[in-house]
Amino acid sequence: MDKYSINQFKNGLKLMLDSNPCSILNNEIVKPGKGQAFNRVKFKDLITGKILIKTFKSGEFLEGADVMELDLQYLYNDGNAWNFMDPHSFEQYIIDGTIVSGVKGYLVEQDICIVTLWNDHPISITPPNHVILEVFDTDPGLKGDTVGTSGKPAIMNTGIVLQVPLFVSIGDKVKVDTRINEYVGRA
Amino acid sequence: MMRNSLIKKQLIIQKIRQFFREQEVLEVQTPILQNTSTSDVYIDSISLTINTDIGIQSIQYLHTSPELEMKKLLAQGSGDIYQICQVFRNNEYGEQNFNEFTLLEYYRLGFDIHQLMADMVNLLQMLGIQDKVYQLSYAQVFSQYANIDILNIDIVSLKIIASRLGLSTDFIWIEDLQMLLFVHLIEPKLKNLPLCFIYDYPKSQSTLAKVKNQVAKRFELYLNGVEVANGYDELQTKDEYQQVFICENNKRKQFSKLISQVDVSFLSKLSKPLPQCTGVAIGINRLLTQIN
Repeated sequence: MDKYSINQFKNGLKLMLDSNPCSILNNEIVKPGKGQAFNRVKFKDLITGKILIKTFKSGEFLEGADVMELDLQYLYNDGNAWNFMDPHSFEQYIIDGTIVSGVKGYLVEQDICIVTLWNDHPISITPPNHVILEVFDTDPGLKGDTVGTSGKPAIMNTGIVLQVPLFVSIGDKVKVDTRINEYVGRA
Repeated sequence: MMRNSLIKKQLIIQKIRQFFREQEVLEVQTPILQNTSTSDVYIDSISLTINTDIGIQSIQYLHTSPELEMKKLLAQGSGDIYQICQVFRNNEYGEQNFNEFTLLEYYRLGFDIHQLMADMVNLLQMLGIQDKVYQLSYAQVFSQYANIDILNIDIVSLKIIASRLGLSTDFIWIEDLQMLLFVHLIEPKLKNLPLCFIYDYPKSQSTLAKVKNQVAKRFELYLNGVEVANGYDELQTKDEYQQVFICENNKRKQFSKLISQVDVSFLSKLSKPLPQCTGVAIGINRLLTQIN
């Protein structure tokens, strides 16, 4: 893999840091009055999802990471694995539960997700920013009660629990923002 | 839009000139073309070859700061002086670092660093920066934000800390590790303090500042986490300057960097020592971005 000088770090560049593939979020060059230049680099560990900051000497080199992002369609879960397909090549990808675990509450069949591959292996899945989920269970709300600010919990058909307004009832389809896990509106 | 920023800069410079006029600090201009390059370890001069066509070719350097030229004037009895000028540095890169920028440099006779910091607060307030002033020593910020006794810890222990933080430990000199940890652990915290002076640096970072009670009498000004100024209680004698130049050049040698000739024209002016004075360099471009 190519090596990159720290001064070439652009946002979005994928690099190996602490033996994990990472994505650069921000690269700030700092040069103390009488000192050498440093780069304070903010990056996301693509395996753990953690956001970290490291400071490097300017001029250090790091190895690039062979990371690819694909738009794949989620097909189904067969109990063990999660099946995705490239809608253009029809190539199928079988992804195991550990990688899906954080986002499985947002996976809706037919939706296009971003699947990140590292050395051709899937390492993370990003669902669409908004998904449509169905309310599986919630307490009955009073009709016309739209004033409540706190709302009530509702279990979605995918298993996650959300705060929804009181007027939402079982069987309703709702739009959810997957980035902040919040109800957006009725679908 | 463009004219507005020109007007803003003009207004700030006018106010700076007024501030110094009221205090009878004299404005000076010193040569930008230099016979010698800077000996500063981490600052590089831009060189140029002149007079080629007339057969008396020589290599000259653009000044990286007007410091030594101004100190020549101080040594000859100029009294309090200031200068606003463009300075030039090679191998600079980034959103805050440029090959050319505007510097305000000024010297006050008889001031210690605390008097100079107080003077700078007056200047900043006049320029419209009214924030609460924080003054923290280098030791204080390290103890408060990182629980490190920075003045007493040795290089081996600093390397252990750096390595625990997953940072490089490939440094020869303790001051570089101190700066690495400052940039990594302390500076991001300073973003919460709109106007903050850091003072009393480890003596390993003394450069051209006096060392008293085991600390270098230096300070830096941070506005919203951006370093804007660097001030010293200046060394006074020829021997002290000579020693620093030799030491810096030895370090440059280890990096295979251009070695500067000892600035004879400067040292020769120090047959009598400099008067006791403090001086500060303020990055005007960075300052402007912090003023609304």
